[in-house]
Amino acid sequence: MTDLDKLKDLLFGAEKQVLDSISERVESRELRSADVADILPEAIRTSHRNGRDLGDALREPVGECLQQAIRDDPKTYSDALYPVMGPAIRKSIMHALRTFTQQINEAVEQSLTPKGLQWRLQAWRAGVPFGDFVMQKTLLYRVEQAYLISRENGLLVGHAQHEVARIKDSDAVSAMFTAIQDFVKESFSPDRTGRLETADMGEFTLWAVHGPHALLVCVIRGVPPRSLRTELSAILERIHFRYGDAIRIYSGETATVPDVEEELAACLRLEAKQQEAASQKRVSLPLLAILLLIAGAIGYFLVSAWLQGQKLDQLTAALENTPGLYVTDVRMDGQRFLVRGMRDPLAPTVAAVAAANGLTDDEIAADMQAFHSLDPTLIAERAALRFGSPDGISFVVEDSRLIVSGPASADWQNEVMASYNALSGIESVEFRMTPEEQAAVARVVELRGLAEDVRQLNGRAFFFASGAILTEKSARELNEMTSQLNTTAAALAKFGKGLSVSVTGFADPVGGVEVNSAIAMRRAEAIAAVLVDQGWGGTIVTLESPLNETDSPIIDPGMRRAVVELQSIDLETTQ
Amino acid sequence: MTMITSKVCIVGDFAVGKTSVVERFVNNQFSEKYLTTIGVKVDTKEIDLPHSGVQLKLILWDVAGSDQFGETEFAYLRGASGHIFVADGTRPATLGTVQKLGVRIDERYGRKPSVLLINKHDLSDAWDVTEQIIEELKTDFDALFLTSAKTGADVENALTRLAELIIDQTLADQQ
Repeated sequence: MTDLDKLKDLLFGAEKQVLDSISERVESRELRSADVADILPEAIRTSHRNGRDLGDALREPVGECLQQAIRDDPKTYSDALYPVMGPAIRKSIMHALRTFTQQINEAVEQSLTPKGLQWRLQAWRAGVPFGDFVMQKTLLYRVEQAYLISRENGLLVGHAQHEVARIKDSDAVSAMFTAIQDFVKESFSPDRTGRLETADMGEFTLWAVHGPHALLVCVIRGVPPRSLRTELSAILERIHFRYGDAIRIYSGETATVPDVEEELAACLRLEAKQQEAASQKRVSLPLLAILLLIAGAIGYFLVSAWLQGQKLDQLTAALENTPGLYVTDVRMDGQRFLVRGMRDPLAPTVAAVAAANGLTDDEIAADMQAFHSLDPTLIAERAALRFGSPDGISFVVEDSRLIVSGPASADWQNEVMASYNALSGIESVEFRMTPEEQAAVARVVELRGLAEDVRQLNGRAFFFASGAILTEKSARELNEMTSQLNTTAAALAKFGKGLSVSVTGFADPVGGVEVNSAIAMRRAEAIAAVLVDQGWGGTIVTLESPLNETDSPIIDPGMRRAVVELQSIDLETTQ
Repeated sequence: MTMITSKVCIVGDFAVGKTSVVERFVNNQFSEKYLTTIGVKVDTKEIDLPHSGVQLKLILWDVAGSDQFGETEFAYLRGASGHIFVADGTRPATLGTVQKLGVRIDERYGRKPSVLLINKHDLSDAWDVTEQIIEELKTDFDALFLTSAKTGADVENALTRLAELIIDQTLADQQ
């Protein structure tokens, strides 16, 4: 030890020991570590109380340490997080499924309505999933109050409310909600991990979103979509990010959490409004066009169906009212009417009836069986075909009686009476004639008699003995014939008819043509003279029979004759 | 003036007059039906403390009385800044109850400002509480008041005192 050292010991002995001790502690890593370990917990607490510097300083290295540790030993950390991750994942999945289910339900409900179709178009144009679009349009709700409540003490950290909301004391409401939640948790959650998240109160729904230090309780009017919870969670996360520490140690002094109401006010902006009345009334042109088209198509269909129905009714009525047609079925077969039933051959065809009602052949088809109708009209028509229809005769059937009206002759009546039994549906026959018709029948009968008389008188030949002298027999017969002729002519005159008389004289060929022509003429004139002599006042034409040179000259008394021919004429035409 | 909100719990035995005390002090906000349904009802009262420059809003949790304080009741006490213990001067047993409750609450949630109200002072003739007992109780609580919910005697003083204790504690914590 030098003198200097001795001097130092004398002057600074105690201080030097301290310095040495300090120097030893500083140089000894082991001692220094022990010192730091001794004061480190208290130093951290003090630093944390004094401000955020320690937290800021540790944030990055601690974060890196955690990342590295998880990379190096993921199993340990996954085991440690397992109790937390499981419930968290299950809750997230359940929430997602609930939201998805609600979206599906609403999408299906809206997809088939006109509004749904319109929304589908709008969602497509906006590039938004249809489910989300429906959510935006259908759920009407409004967040009217938002409470930020400390989880530690139930004190109200912040409160925002819609202008229409009425509340007496938000602090009391906040406390009471906390009390109710505590009650629910203690009463119904065995492990006390349950949380009151939803409560329904009439038109209000109360949702609580839980954060680490505070819960956000919103009073919502209407029906909120599930996605709203996601938005509320985002707001609560933002509040925690900004005021997390302040909320954690919140002891009731509102100034320590400034402007939190601004964050809470974001909740009040979450609402889905009823569409304005004007916009509801406003109908888009494409939708209007589609509606008009649909309405037009429906209208056309209805009108067509109505018109077809009318045509069907009209056709059915016409067919049923047609005698001789018996309809069993009339229906639409595609674009045409199909008629089934029976038809009397005398009845009009179905096509004819349809044409009379404005239907074309293409619109009608018939499947008809033949039958004999006992309709009186058809029976009468059948009688007319069988008995013929003389002028003025008509047939009517009444109560199985065939009534024949008109001037029916006795012969024809006899014919009818002899064969009417062959007609079905007729049990008796009645002839009906007016006095005029009876007179007409009598006139016809008389005329027919006179015609027969004329026929018998016509062509009579009278023979001559020689020259123009009649044989006695012929002279007698001529007198009789002249008498009958006058009588018949007088009778015919009553009916306006007359007789023209022509007398043709004949001669045999002996003697020469010229002589014989003269004889023939004299014979005709002789007969005419007798007729005139006996009272015939009508016209008489005399003729000579032509003779030929080649005729053989044979004496034939039968050739010496004159023939009287009669022809009925109308007197008026002769005048 | 600083605005502070504090949670205060009112506890005590059955029928000692807790609800009556609160009614003397505040305007009711919730029906007493809550006391029988979930075991608590909440009222509020604002108190100006000019000397502290604070307006304190007390959130008064009136916890239903019960001989055996259950988990639910204890859960209601979580986060309270102060406690109002209420006993019935005509029933000395209720004083023992609040003493035990005070100990249990302190064990669970830590020491908080507290006041003891020995109620029904209007029936002091029927009291069975000695001065010695009262003096002993003063050591267990920050303040003790002989109150009457019926006449209102000292009720407001008691709660105002508690408010002051809470503010003092709060300001001390902040420092």
